[in-house]
Amino acid sequence: MTSTGPRWVRYASGAVMAVVLVALPFMFPAFRVNQFVTWMCLAVAAAGLNLLTGFNGQISVGHGALYGLGAYTAAILVTDSGWPMLATPVAAAAVCFVAGVVIGLPALRIKGLYLALVTLAVATLFPALVEQFSSLTGGSSGLSLVVPQDDCPRGRPECPVRWESPIDGLASDQWRYFVFLAVTVVMFIVVANIVRSRTGRSLVAIRDNEVAAEASGVNVSRAKILTFGTSAAIAGVGGAMLALNNGRVNPTSFTLLVSIYLLVAVVVGGAATIVGPAVGTVVAGLFNDVIAPELPGRFENAAPVILGVLLVIQMLLAPNGIVGQIRDLQARIAARRHGGDPGGQTGHLATPGGTGTEPEDLGSASGT
Amino acid sequence: MSLLEVSGLRCGYGIVEVLFGLDLSVAEGELVVVLGANGAGKTTTLRAISGMIPASGSVRLDGTEVLGRRPDQLLSAGVAHVPQGRGTISALSVEDNLRVGGYQRSSAEVTEDLEMWFEVFPRLSERRTQLAGSMSGGEQQMLAIARAFMSRPRLLLLDEPSLGLAPLVTREVFDRLRDVTQQMGSAVLLVEQNANLALDFAARAYVLEAGSIVVSGSASELQGDEAIQKAYLGL
Amino acid sequence: MNDFLEVVVVGIGNGAVYAMLGLGLVVIYRSTGLLNFAQGELSMFSTFIVWTIWNAGVPLWLAILGGMAGGFLVGILLHQVAVSPLGDPHEKPLAVVIVTIALFLALNGAAQLIWGTVDKRLDPLFGQSQVTIGGVAIQWQKIGAVLVLVALATGFVLLFNRTKLGLAMRAVASNSESAGLCGVPVPRILMLGWGLAAAVGTVAGVFTAPQLGLGTNMMQLTLIFGFAAITLGGFDSLIGAVVGGMVVGILSAVVPQYVSTFERMPLAPAFILILAVLLFRPQGLFGSKEVQRV
Repeated sequence: MTSTGPRWVRYASGAVMAVVLVALPFMFPAFRVNQFVTWMCLAVAAAGLNLLTGFNGQISVGHGALYGLGAYTAAILVTDSGWPMLATPVAAAAVCFVAGVVIGLPALRIKGLYLALVTLAVATLFPALVEQFSSLTGGSSGLSLVVPQDDCPRGRPECPVRWESPIDGLASDQWRYFVFLAVTVVMFIVVANIVRSRTGRSLVAIRDNEVAAEASGVNVSRAKILTFGTSAAIAGVGGAMLALNNGRVNPTSFTLLVSIYLLVAVVVGGAATIVGPAVGTVVAGLFNDVIAPELPGRFENAAPVILGVLLVIQMLLAPNGIVGQIRDLQARIAARRHGGDPGGQTGHLATPGGTGTEPEDLGSASGT
Repeated sequence: MSLLEVSGLRCGYGIVEVLFGLDLSVAEGELVVVLGANGAGKTTTLRAISGMIPASGSVRLDGTEVLGRRPDQLLSAGVAHVPQGRGTISALSVEDNLRVGGYQRSSAEVTEDLEMWFEVFPRLSERRTQLAGSMSGGEQQMLAIARAFMSRPRLLLLDEPSLGLAPLVTREVFDRLRDVTQQMGSAVLLVEQNANLALDFAARAYVLEAGSIVVSGSASELQGDEAIQKAYLGL
Repeated sequence: MNDFLEVVVVGIGNGAVYAMLGLGLVVIYRSTGLLNFAQGELSMFSTFIVWTIWNAGVPLWLAILGGMAGGFLVGILLHQVAVSPLGDPHEKPLAVVIVTIALFLALNGAAQLIWGTVDKRLDPLFGQSQVTIGGVAIQWQKIGAVLVLVALATGFVLLFNRTKLGLAMRAVASNSESAGLCGVPVPRILMLGWGLAAAVGTVAGVFTAPQLGLGTNMMQLTLIFGFAAITLGGFDSLIGAVVGGMVVGILSAVVPQYVSTFERMPLAPAFILILAVLLFRPQGLFGSKEVQRV
């Protein structure tokens, strides 16, 4: 992933971003800060999905289920097995990695729209799974995370998860915000490193042309399965964060809508860009948590309509998402400045496995 | 006035320009061939004329500008196009392919013409209910030509009918094509790499090189001019 | 034994509804080559149109025709504004998924906006009564569903194989470029495909509503079952949708009854079916081989 634009612009915008992120919990009331933390959880899961769908071209409409699996893993480990809270995201990652590999195996043969269909079914199935195994998950009434203390039997809300700030002057919601921010930043750095590595380049190569990637020595099957696993693991970390933040997990928090939300965040922010999922989550979060509740009573339910319409418009006019669009624009400006052709067009939404629609004449025409 | 009058036709894919202001014309009932090497822009020319790809310039049919119309709209104006690779609809039977060819005509007319084409091409008649995709290349080319004629076009655009066919089969396709066009009285704009065959077939010829017409004249002139043959036609 | 048969009858009744929704999915797949994730919501939306007309005092069967007409128009509209400008669905599957999901959200929200979030009651088209055959009680509504399904499927088979419109639809589905060169107005054919799919979806909704209550989320599970049906039957096969619907309906009624692991997951057998078919026989039972591409 190549960033364009002068170096100082990147540093300056990074600095501004850092200042804003640090200042936010001091500028907003606790319930907002709590929402921001929820957005972080979703952003991490979206970053995982982006690795799979954006960079590798495997469409998943089922990452809500993996997000949920991560959340339940964390909740059960804390409540039943007395794990320390911050160790649970690691366990969630491991569990979800395995689950991702299991889903990834059939995905080797099922592609494109059909993979979307299978994962859609996974997403729809997940809440039913939770209810089926209610002895473990608490079923439809959900599961409260309780810190294991002798006087606190499982499932009793008297001893909920607490986030007491070790620093004077930092309220508990602010402390929690910074802990989760740190985890989020780490996860995004992990994704960035994967994408920039050799492996990352082979993921993109597979997306653009599977046969060519295979021919140039990439082990396509292995790469695709590992991507599914890694993507699931990252989504699971997001889910674990959510469970730890809310102190409660509920099957209704992991319906198909969450999967859709994650996919929307990726596409709106910019598929196959590193910060895209974060940008997309913030935009979607602003829309759902800040703007939608302000809609006048009669139009309370209009939010999904507006979201749907905006999405269609975006897909038609700016299919590369916010970050992708900005990058295209920068590339075009740079190209004009250097007098070259605009090579920065990023076709993220191109087919996995085949890009050519040019008529037969083209290849040879450019050669003559 | 010519039936088809193309002037200043320009076209490209993305940033790659393929045609640089092309001029050509076809008169009513005339057989015209555009010759050129692989990649000269022959296919693009036909695709631009029939509205399959966006282009600029002018394409007039009987003096009416038709550039920018969709292929089906051009067909109702009397221009049928047999694309490169024949374009038979592989999941449909031979008969259904022919029926689709007559889509814009009444079903009585279609049924009548259907029988006529089955007489002209007995081989198609034998394979009436067979899927088009299961036929040989030569048979598919015959089907594609018959299908295009199902619309009773005034002008047929024909893209490299010899492609992928054995020489003997190609010869047969051209022979049948000559008979059929005579019978139907349609004009044909053919693009071909196989100059010998095409010049035997056509009355007039253009030579296309790198997106521009470099030579034009009657077929016999071109056949007689050794310099042109050496320079452009590789004969 | 009678218990088992009664469960099977329930399954057949549900299966008929899945098959109806499946028919709509097949029609869209055959004309435009895409999987329409908004098909269930389209069907829910036009069922609300049926309810509105019926609620105004019009006989139910007439209201259904009205709802089908309404659905037809909504389908056409959505295709024109959202789907058609995207271009070839197989070139950019992600865009197709996003747009049909966006339509899913928009239709669901629009229905909530117009009709509220409280479930409505829609009478069963064939009444509440039942007959007992060989000791097994069967509701007329279920028999009616099967009959309607057979009628719809026959209608579509005739449409595709005996009419000019059907011929054009098959041509466009197989090779839209060639169809255009033959004079078929491709954009109009695609548009009609969406309209027809939405119209038949209305019927699926009309049979679902009395059972689940007419709510904005009633078709979401049904959609997955419908997808399972056409996956099994073959994405481009009308007969496959009918057979697949029946199999999925019966399986998802019987299996949870007898296998305690699936007790609360009638969806699980359908899911396993989707996965197994896509893995081992992607063209389904009756689909053409071509489906395997992509």
